[in-house]
Amino acid sequence: MASGAIESFDNKARREFESLGRTRVYRGELLRHPVYTRVLHWTVALFFFLALFTGFGIYLPWLFRWFTPFFGGGPLSRQMHPWFGLGFVFFFGLQVLNWLAPMLWTAADTKWMRNVHKIVSNEEKMDPPETGFFNAGQKVQFWEIVGGCIVFIITGAILWGGAKYFGGTAVAVSYVLHDISALIMLGGIFIHIYQSTFGEPGTFQAMIRGAVSEAWAWTFHPAWYKQVTGRDPVQACEEARRKMEGRR
Amino acid sequence: MTNGWIDIKNTDMMLIMGGNPAENHPCGFKWAIEAKIHRNAKTIVVDPRLTRTAANADQYVQIRAGSDIAFLGGVIRYAIENNRIAKDYLVNYTNASFIIKDGFKLPEDGLYSGFDAEKKTYDKKTWNYEEGGDLTGKPVTASPAGKPAPPPAPGAPPPPALLPGKVAYDLSLQHPRCVFQLLKQQYSRYTPEIVERITGISQDQFLKAADLFTSIRKDGDMKKVATIIYAVGWTQHSFGTQIIRTAAMLQLLMGNVGRAGGGVNALRGHSNIQGATDMAGIFDILPGYLKMPNPADTDLAAFLKRTTPTPSKPDPWESFNYWSNTSKFTVSLLKAFYGAAATKENDFAFNYLPKIDRNYSWVNLWNDMYEGKVKGLFAFGMNGVMIGPDSNKNIDALKKADWLAVCEIYPDETSEFWRAPGITADDQKKINTTVYRLPGAGFAEKDGTFVNSARWLQWKNVAVPPPGQARLDQEILATIFLKVRDLYKKDGGKFPDPIVNTSWAYTTPYNPSLPEVAKEINGKALADLTDPKTNVTIKAGQQLPGFAWLKDDGTTLSGNWLYCGSWTEAGAMMQRRGTEDPSGLGIYPNWGWSWPANRRVLYNRASCDIDGKPWDPSRRQVWWDEAKQSWVGNDVPDFKVDSAPKDHMGPFIMNPEGIGRLFVPLGPMNDGPFPEFYEPIESPIANILHPNQSSNPVVKKYKTDMDKYAPVGGDYNIICTTYRLTEHYHYWTKNNPMNVELVPEPFVEVPFELAERMSIKGGEKIKVSSIRATYIAKAMVTRRIRPMKIDGKETFQIGIPIHWGFRGIAEDEGKTAKTLTNQLTPTVIDPNAYTPEFKGFLVKIEKV
Amino acid sequence: MADRKTLQADQISGHSGASPGLGMQRDLEVCKLIDTTTCIGCKACEVACVEWNDMPFQPTTFDNTYQTMPKTNWNFWNLIKFNEHQNADGTIQWLMRKDQCMHCADPGCLHACPADGAIVKYANGIVDFNQENCIGCEYCVSGCPFDIPRFNPMTKKVYKCTLCSDRVGQGLEPACIKACPTGCLKFGSKEDMSFIANERANQLRENFGFQNAGVYDPQSVGGTHVIYVLHDATDPERYGGLPKNPTIPWSYTVWKWLFKPVLGTFALFGFLGVLAHYVTSGPRMAQPEPPTKEETHG
Repeated sequence: MASGAIESFDNKARREFESLGRTRVYRGELLRHPVYTRVLHWTVALFFFLALFTGFGIYLPWLFRWFTPFFGGGPLSRQMHPWFGLGFVFFFGLQVLNWLAPMLWTAADTKWMRNVHKIVSNEEKMDPPETGFFNAGQKVQFWEIVGGCIVFIITGAILWGGAKYFGGTAVAVSYVLHDISALIMLGGIFIHIYQSTFGEPGTFQAMIRGAVSEAWAWTFHPAWYKQVTGRDPVQACEEARRKMEGRR
Repeated sequence: MTNGWIDIKNTDMMLIMGGNPAENHPCGFKWAIEAKIHRNAKTIVVDPRLTRTAANADQYVQIRAGSDIAFLGGVIRYAIENNRIAKDYLVNYTNASFIIKDGFKLPEDGLYSGFDAEKKTYDKKTWNYEEGGDLTGKPVTASPAGKPAPPPAPGAPPPPALLPGKVAYDLSLQHPRCVFQLLKQQYSRYTPEIVERITGISQDQFLKAADLFTSIRKDGDMKKVATIIYAVGWTQHSFGTQIIRTAAMLQLLMGNVGRAGGGVNALRGHSNIQGATDMAGIFDILPGYLKMPNPADTDLAAFLKRTTPTPSKPDPWESFNYWSNTSKFTVSLLKAFYGAAATKENDFAFNYLPKIDRNYSWVNLWNDMYEGKVKGLFAFGMNGVMIGPDSNKNIDALKKADWLAVCEIYPDETSEFWRAPGITADDQKKINTTVYRLPGAGFAEKDGTFVNSARWLQWKNVAVPPPGQARLDQEILATIFLKVRDLYKKDGGKFPDPIVNTSWAYTTPYNPSLPEVAKEINGKALADLTDPKTNVTIKAGQQLPGFAWLKDDGTTLSGNWLYCGSWTEAGAMMQRRGTEDPSGLGIYPNWGWSWPANRRVLYNRASCDIDGKPWDPSRRQVWWDEAKQSWVGNDVPDFKVDSAPKDHMGPFIMNPEGIGRLFVPLGPMNDGPFPEFYEPIESPIANILHPNQSSNPVVKKYKTDMDKYAPVGGDYNIICTTYRLTEHYHYWTKNNPMNVELVPEPFVEVPFELAERMSIKGGEKIKVSSIRATYIAKAMVTRRIRPMKIDGKETFQIGIPIHWGFRGIAEDEGKTAKTLTNQLTPTVIDPNAYTPEFKGFLVKIEKV
Repeated sequence: MADRKTLQADQISGHSGASPGLGMQRDLEVCKLIDTTTCIGCKACEVACVEWNDMPFQPTTFDNTYQTMPKTNWNFWNLIKFNEHQNADGTIQWLMRKDQCMHCADPGCLHACPADGAIVKYANGIVDFNQENCIGCEYCVSGCPFDIPRFNPMTKKVYKCTLCSDRVGQGLEPACIKACPTGCLKFGSKEDMSFIANERANQLRENFGFQNAGVYDPQSVGGTHVIYVLHDATDPERYGGLPKNPTIPWSYTVWKWLFKPVLGTFALFGFLGVLAHYVTSGPRMAQPEPPTKEETHG
């Protein structure tokens, strides 16, 4: 029932947003993320960074106080931070609904994780053939953010209410958990940005235009490539290599 | 105060009762704390409520409001039984040894001898000393048959009884009619068991307190000193003066009067109430406590004969009898009043003075206004509606007046009596009183003096000028006076002379400067004067250095003999700010100026033994210097300085006997020479000592339709007392946001057990009703007032602060019920000082 | 140290011989002594505090007590707490304790505060808030074991008693001290105040029957620059909740001073990490990779 309702909500949202924007998929490209997903992603990103930068000013002003003037000073940063956080959690929540199915953990993910060192070190040029729409690394980050958001919401509420309502101890503990959660998420975000830009060129456009090259698809998400094109990713890659060499 | 604020630091023991100095005199209370810290002084607080003063006490004793005489009488009994009395002091400095007339009767049945049940007054002729000599060791005989008094002429009043010049006395204090034996007999009835039944204080608690207080006289030691501190918790009863008398007797018995750290100390409730009293704030005195003439005083000589006492003492003793100078004080005062119009030929204009034919005290004025006899009222610096008692009666009285002039700094309940809750628009149309509101100046906007409880005159400067159209009091008063005088000059009248001839020699007649007035009060020479002993001369027009210079021949002028010396040729003594204290006793002789003659502790001769040596060598106030043949000391001796100890002059120089009065003969007290315990007019039980004479026999109830009094055993069975809070000043500060922040709303303090029984929670509104009116406020449920067993019956007390009315910040915001505490209080007064009984009346409470 | 000597006598006019007070070392640590056994709850200190610090009035409501308000507020830094304490024998002790910042030697608020320079502890022991730097995070509120700092919803900053650092800096006593009528409040060097407090506690034990009288100067926060004389120092809680063992939450000591900067730096290492990865392993390219330049030319 619930999954059905979520599915129909997401489908409706995707349809609505598709009518508001569009995704051009050129020859040799595949549709990666529809408009709804992209809009959600960047909204989440926007709130994340707003919360992050306002949070920096609270976390370590001696290092980050130069962020605060952008938000009208320290006190205003502090005032807006929870609202940004709420925006982040809310829109990420929509993204969770949107991505719930592809983000479910599979046996292939476990296998992927076992080989992660080969992928990180670039020993394996292509992802394992079982790698679907999202790889295990993306899923780990996704679920980390889900967990992080839960921590943020609970500890954030306590910090927002303050010692007046929740007592000094709760605030003191929440403060540490909130920080730790943010630090983990921050670390993840470095990897996320790197991977989606310099680390794996061609990824960024997936969230910009919504389309990726077929080569990108068969390299990083072979199972997904197979699923949408019906072609074998390894073969497709070999074909392309031969074509490229032939041209030369 | 016999002593002073700072002097409290010299004490070893404090009994604080009928006062709440920590709350109502917080600045003065510092000296109580100094005594605790520097002398390990102990504090006993006896109060119906555990107050902020009690919170600081070594022993707190909860007493039923109005039962103070029973408690103090019990302590007197305890002191005598346990020999915790100052024997030498008692014999030599009090009238303990004086023999009282045969026929004097103690009030075992509630009445002293001589009671006239119809007039409710006493014929006091038996309240007198026996004439005679030394009866020490002589067998007791019947009263010597004196000459029988001639029968009074029909219709004429009998000649007033006088004190005998030579008093019979028994220095062994064994004579059954000597004051000491009578006193012992009087208080032998006040056993711990009786004290418990009357006051609600357990015998255990009472004995602990009595033992602690009298412990300073253990084994006859005279070094330690105890003080008694009180305020209006004692005065505001239908027997208030007698409570204070009981305290004075206890202090005399224990030899604590006149000594540093001792005395009977009244804490005045306003910054200048002492000054108001000194300057004749009450109808029956003139400035300096001179008596007011009555219609029988047909000329100055008759007046002086009536008011000037003659010595009355054991023959070998001396008495200074300082009031023998009454004529000098009176004539100098008349010269100040009437200037050149007061001549020897016209009795110094004595007949310009009004003569009092009846009681014109506060409550009687309002009663007269209520009965339509008083037609107009000037209200300066007081809020008569709020003050009460029975505020509703005062409001109704004002409705009947023709005019009312109120000089205030805030719109107050008196000037807006016509807006009191319950008065409808239709009612208002029927009120024909014309109200004039005069914008006065606040205390910080005026200069002048305050006279504090310690009798110090202290000059203060203006802090800020009066705002807007506000005017100084003296400007308003002078303007009214000069206009009235012009009318008398123009139109004449029945007796214009006193008004037309009033001396008004000020530089700016419409706005006299207060230094000028202060100098006039001090007094000056009107002719060249020379002291024959010292050959010192004072030229005409010069300020007088002290009241010893006052003359009754019209050559001196003084507005108040007690203040003579406060502004001399040497300058304004009241403006001095010297902080030297060579003795360390807190005398500060060069700070301000203290009446009389800048002495700080009254009767300080009594701080020395009979030979003139201080009882306690570590607290030397004054002493006899044999070489100089003079009394000298750190304080100004309150004594004839060249009277050697062997002359045995009494230290209480204002009494014709020269000694302290344990027994008050003849005139001063209207309800008995010894205090007797009477129940308040409204009391939950009949007096267990004499149920047939439960309350004070000479107290009269008022008879208008508004005067109702709750009977014993009726619906009204909770005892209610009223008081002020630290956070507020009377009815003013309810207009000041800071004070309102500290205590925002009216409340009623209710004992926890009573609240529980009536399921009243703290903060809930309750209705307090007396037989006269109701009062609504939130309940403060507290364990600081406990239920009491009065004569075995469980009895509750509640307390209401007096501060809120129908004008103020909380009132105007609609946060209060706009009822007045004093709507509850009964119209009944003490027969000696005419103070209303605000403490200890009966109420009932209900949830609203 | 030169600055500390600015108010010491060096030379005085018209005086032969050595100048009095020359070279005298002034005790730098100040202290407020509150003798609860002589406090009369008159609230003069409350008024003086509001007046001196020019704080706006706020409406209050009757709350079944003499206490002005339940807790101190951003515009009310000095509050006398009234407590009707029932003794074991059934008698009532009405306790009054002036509540305000304790100016801890080891201040929890300062530990908790992340904002650079928002809380300053002076060499004389005063812990002061500098609202200019306050970011309103309210961590100080939870870091304070005495529940003192208060947030002003209008300015979004936190306020508390300054021990009148402005007055003390000019050689005056704090406003509350000046207003106290009974002398239950005293101000001076920590050494002197501790001495007077201990003498008084001694007197209470020996002459007034308070067996447990003592001085409250909790060492768990390194001692305080506001100390109390209590009738019963074994039970400070009865004085309107004075904590027996005030402590600063570990999260503000261990976490803030050690792990927070360290972990914060680690997060930056994330940036360096990915950079290192790019440099050492290079990007992962979509396959097949286009030929290299060299290959193109070859």
